[in-house]
Amino acid sequence: MAPVLQSSQPWVEKYRPKQVKDVAHQDEVIRVLNNTLETADCPHMLFYGPPGTGKTTTALAIAHQLYGPELYKSRVLELNASDDRGINVVRTKIKDFASVAVASGQRQGGYPCPPYKIIVLDEADSMTEDAQNALRRTMETYSKITRFFFICNYISRIIEPLASRCAKFRFKPLPQEVMGSRISYICKEEGLNLDDEVLSTLSVISQGDLRRAITYLQGAARLYGSSISCKDLINVSGVIPPEASEALFFACKSGNFDLANKEVSNIIAEGYPVSQMLNQLLDMVVEADDISDEQKARICQKLAEADKCLIDGADEYLQLLDVTSNTMRALCNMPEDFTYEA
Amino acid sequence: MTKRNAFMVLSSDDEDEKSSSKLKSFFCHSDSKGQKQPCFSVPRSRSCKQSRIADEFELFGEDFKEVFTGVKVSNGSGTGTRKELWADRYKPCTFEDLAVHKKKVDEVKAWFEQKIQVSKGNHDSNVLLITGPAGVGKSATVKVIASHLGAMLFEWSVPTPTIWQEHMYSSNTGMQYISKLDEFEIFVERIRNYGLVSPSITGRPLSPVILLIDDLPLTFSRIAYTRLKNSLHLLVRSACSPTVILITDTDHSDSANDTTRNFEELKSFLEEVGARKISFNPITSSSIKRTLSKVCKQERCHVTAEQLDLIAKASGGDIRQAIASLQLFSINKNVSTNPTLSDSAERKDGNPSGILFGRDETLSLFHALGKFLHNKRERESTDLLDEDTFPIRDKFSRLPLKMDSPEKVLCQAHGQARPITDFLHENVLDFIDGDAVDDACVVLSYLCDVDVLLAIHQKNFSKDSDTEKVLQSCAASIAVRGILFGNDHPAPPRWHSIRKPKLWQVEKAALHNKDKLLWQRDKFHHSSDLSVIATEYTPVHRQIQHKQPDIRSATSMENSGAAGDGDGDDDTSMETDAFDDDEIEDW
Amino acid sequence: MLWVDKYRPKSLDKMNVHEDIAENLKKLVSEQDCPHLLFYGPSGSGKKTLIMALLRQMFGSSSEKVKVENKAWKIDAGSRTIEIELTTLSSTNHVEMNPSDAGFQDRYIVQEIIKEMAKNRPLVDAKGKRGFKVLVLNEVDKLSREAQHSLRRTMEKYSSSCRLILCCNSSSKVTEAIRSRCLNVRVNAPKEDQIVNVLEFIGKKEGLQLPVGFAARIAEKSNRSLRRAILSFETCCVQQYPFTSNQAIPPMDWEEYVSEIVSDIMKEQSPKRLFQVRGKIYELLTNCIPPEIVLKRLLYELLRKLDDELKHEVCHWAAYYEHRMHLGQKAIFHLEAFIAKFMSIYKSFLIATFG
Repeated sequence: MAPVLQSSQPWVEKYRPKQVKDVAHQDEVIRVLNNTLETADCPHMLFYGPPGTGKTTTALAIAHQLYGPELYKSRVLELNASDDRGINVVRTKIKDFASVAVASGQRQGGYPCPPYKIIVLDEADSMTEDAQNALRRTMETYSKITRFFFICNYISRIIEPLASRCAKFRFKPLPQEVMGSRISYICKEEGLNLDDEVLSTLSVISQGDLRRAITYLQGAARLYGSSISCKDLINVSGVIPPEASEALFFACKSGNFDLANKEVSNIIAEGYPVSQMLNQLLDMVVEADDISDEQKARICQKLAEADKCLIDGADEYLQLLDVTSNTMRALCNMPEDFTYEA
Repeated sequence: MTKRNAFMVLSSDDEDEKSSSKLKSFFCHSDSKGQKQPCFSVPRSRSCKQSRIADEFELFGEDFKEVFTGVKVSNGSGTGTRKELWADRYKPCTFEDLAVHKKKVDEVKAWFEQKIQVSKGNHDSNVLLITGPAGVGKSATVKVIASHLGAMLFEWSVPTPTIWQEHMYSSNTGMQYISKLDEFEIFVERIRNYGLVSPSITGRPLSPVILLIDDLPLTFSRIAYTRLKNSLHLLVRSACSPTVILITDTDHSDSANDTTRNFEELKSFLEEVGARKISFNPITSSSIKRTLSKVCKQERCHVTAEQLDLIAKASGGDIRQAIASLQLFSINKNVSTNPTLSDSAERKDGNPSGILFGRDETLSLFHALGKFLHNKRERESTDLLDEDTFPIRDKFSRLPLKMDSPEKVLCQAHGQARPITDFLHENVLDFIDGDAVDDACVVLSYLCDVDVLLAIHQKNFSKDSDTEKVLQSCAASIAVRGILFGNDHPAPPRWHSIRKPKLWQVEKAALHNKDKLLWQRDKFHHSSDLSVIATEYTPVHRQIQHKQPDIRSATSMENSGAAGDGDGDDDTSMETDAFDDDEIEDW
Repeated sequence: MLWVDKYRPKSLDKMNVHEDIAENLKKLVSEQDCPHLLFYGPSGSGKKTLIMALLRQMFGSSSEKVKVENKAWKIDAGSRTIEIELTTLSSTNHVEMNPSDAGFQDRYIVQEIIKEMAKNRPLVDAKGKRGFKVLVLNEVDKLSREAQHSLRRTMEKYSSSCRLILCCNSSSKVTEAIRSRCLNVRVNAPKEDQIVNVLEFIGKKEGLQLPVGFAARIAEKSNRSLRRAILSFETCCVQQYPFTSNQAIPPMDWEEYVSEIVSDIMKEQSPKRLFQVRGKIYELLTNCIPPEIVLKRLLYELLRKLDDELKHEVCHWAAYYEHRMHLGQKAIFHLEAFIAKFMSIYKSFLIATFG
């Protein structure tokens, strides 16, 4: 069993920075946090920002730096499956963990070991409002002996009473260079060959999400071995190659319904995920210079609707066809309403 | 079964029931006739279905009090005739008196004639099943026919073990408790072994004998139900004289309660084992009116045609109810100083001052559906002149409805959103004008909304029953109003039958076929997608095997297969026939 | 045995389409390290074939010795016990199932089955055989959100003892959380010329004479589904052999039926016709043709016959009602509403054009 486990460890875990200071690109956050670490006195904290920017890494790194590997298990509770946290879990699991007192702070093995526990709540924004309210009480009750680290993408989904109790840290999306250097480092460690073009493709398709970039990289490396091409990366990531999406966009501009229909069928046959297609179409439309704002609005509205429909389980082909037909009508200035009254 | 006054029962039975039997006697149908009716066991109180008794007692108890507080005096000093129920006094004795549709009577009569003539050596079943709502003259018809044919009518009857007696039994009073079901089993056994020969009638062996079972035991448990089924089966097999079983339909199509469902099942079961089934419809209001006016003439009480009309309408096709209402009405009129006549005439749309209590305001589902589907409206808008009305574009404005608000009708019909929607969906296209495909589109899009609304609850499994209630009633209301609104060009009035949704049958068949596909998948196409098997493998198998690509032959085959093992599919067609023509239109 | 099954490549080396994917999978397995896999791609593109070949590559021929089991699972779900019956297909090293068969109870089944597999996992034997089992889950895109969440958690918990191979048609219906934990393998539908090659290969094996262009015509009609192409090929062969170059390629019977419906509704637009059409749709549904496929086919047929100006509107409503169908319960309502809508549109179009 052992070898299987070893090599299947995700690179995301393997290359997760162990120290707060190693977290890439979040300079202000790190500066503040380093201070807290020195005094070993930290408030409740709320980390927010887009995915893959180092929020979880930072939270875990703090915990590690405070307790060291030995005490870590008994002092830190990680909860991260969004659906595992109904109101009951908050009431029981967290309570149970929080209510067990800890020994007073003594430095052990060079770690500060402050006299409180840490509860890390990943994806906190997917907690229900009820659960969040329940949590608020728990926070008050055990505030002497616990610290909560909330991690979320959207701070607006955290109820105000919770947010106001925390020190808030905003994580910025990673720029291409930062990501590039991190990826290059991993490539060197894993013995992969990536040229600059591939590197830039990787950062484009991962949209500033370092975790995703590493996942893609690992996937591609597993499938295609040590030399990876742009195409391989695109294949693994589920991103639709630009040729395909451009062909669809071109068909929309042409005003020829049958051509568009053919392109749509083609995309489905190639197995490209339509939700991804919608995203890419959105990017293309928003960035295009030759489309009026009104046209853009018309197209985007439909894109949003179709996205919702897909989440509801609607058929991919029909939704994409509808989007395409709508885009075509917007681009070719056909009337918005269907009317056949003479 | 004619001239023993129901009050006599009182004296022979226990006193505990005094008040209730008074009530019973007031509204109950028929009862007893001295000479011809040897009871098969202990004296009976009356026949009525227990569960209904309880409900109706309560209901009628109220009405009863309400009315009689005002009538007390007259009740006490009433003449001898008044003591008798008109419903009993004017029990039909001849075919002319029967308010039942002639066609049905003839049907029943023909059956009897055939059975009596060839009753020996005839291998068909001798059992006839008559179904229909309460008070449509099921037993009256049988009795009239029996006397017409000069046959002797035997009625199986048992003492109703009352709740009180049951209680006494359980608290060890030593009274032998025999359930009605036991009695019935014993009875059937006896019939089988000895025939209908009872010592008291051996003196007149020549006249044919008819057996009437009006009062099937109620069954509440599955075991009891199976027992009943078995004895019925025996009865159907072995009855050697014509036997009639009456089953009263209950209006509530929601069939939430077990008993109703059991009766439904029994019906189809009886048919399966060979009993002939004839179902009676509610009596048309014109026919009720005719009978009522006849009664009026004989009683020499004056009631206007409008009032008769109201009574007839309110009775909902229940003639017994109509006569009872009439009697009550005439009592009331005699007593009260200001005639309610003008009153009710004035308030034509309103509830005529509580006198004409119809059948506790319920409507049959079909009745309600008929209203919705026919979409009858006034000729012209009355509130055109009203300043307060919200201005609506012509396209969206509709003439006022010729009925109560749809929600009220729904409530009276005890309609649940899902079945109502299914029924409307099945039938609505018939009621839309042939050219108005736009209307059809609007109507269907509303139904489609309703379907989505109804699904919300199913998918969320929320246990919040309040939201469910709101959703349900919203959905029902959208369904009904959507149809009323959407059907802007109703088809010209025409006879329509209301069909049971075919969708139900389709769903059942689809489920059946899905099981078959699943089985096929496990056998041949390991873990392929079901839809692939349905759309690709199965058709190819068909094409390869038969070389005759025709989905229709395949479907109809599978259809019939599915129909065979589903119960009551034939029942569907029967029921649809039942509601033909004039009934619907008449409402 | 149908040709589709007869000529299904058994090993990764013998794949006649998707050789590249097969090559990569082989590499993956040889590395002693197999991540969770998610295969996605349109129906008939060869996902199943790849998975079966992959299993063979991993476990040798023992993966082919499967037994079908109909197992009842008793699951303790808090306050009550749920019983679910599900058919599984298993060999010593793998279990395969369609968890979506369990309907809305799918989330329990996923959890339970993985737990049980993890419990009695095979130990590493002396020859260094793999110490894990493989669980193949089909149609994961049909799993409810809850089930997908529970799948994701179970994946993490038991990843040391079993590997998952997931298979679905559209990856957008699989949550990001699952996708990011799997190696995604996109299996695209084979191109028409690839299909032609396979058909010619089968033709040669069966000793058939193929007229020029015949295979190409089948491929064209197959809508890039290899399975579909092989099935029609066999049907053609049964119906008429030797082939003639202009031989008709029979559509599936239900497709023919749908085109009948379409010509019905193009001919007359009235409530009465709508009612007749309803009867026909009922027959399709009775035969378990999935309603969304019926709707798509209807649209396909309509688009072939309509003027350009109507196409936009019709495809809009098709998308609209297909979406509603997923929200609602009874597909017929929505199918019929679509047809009614079409009738209404088409009628006013006819009136506007021809007066």
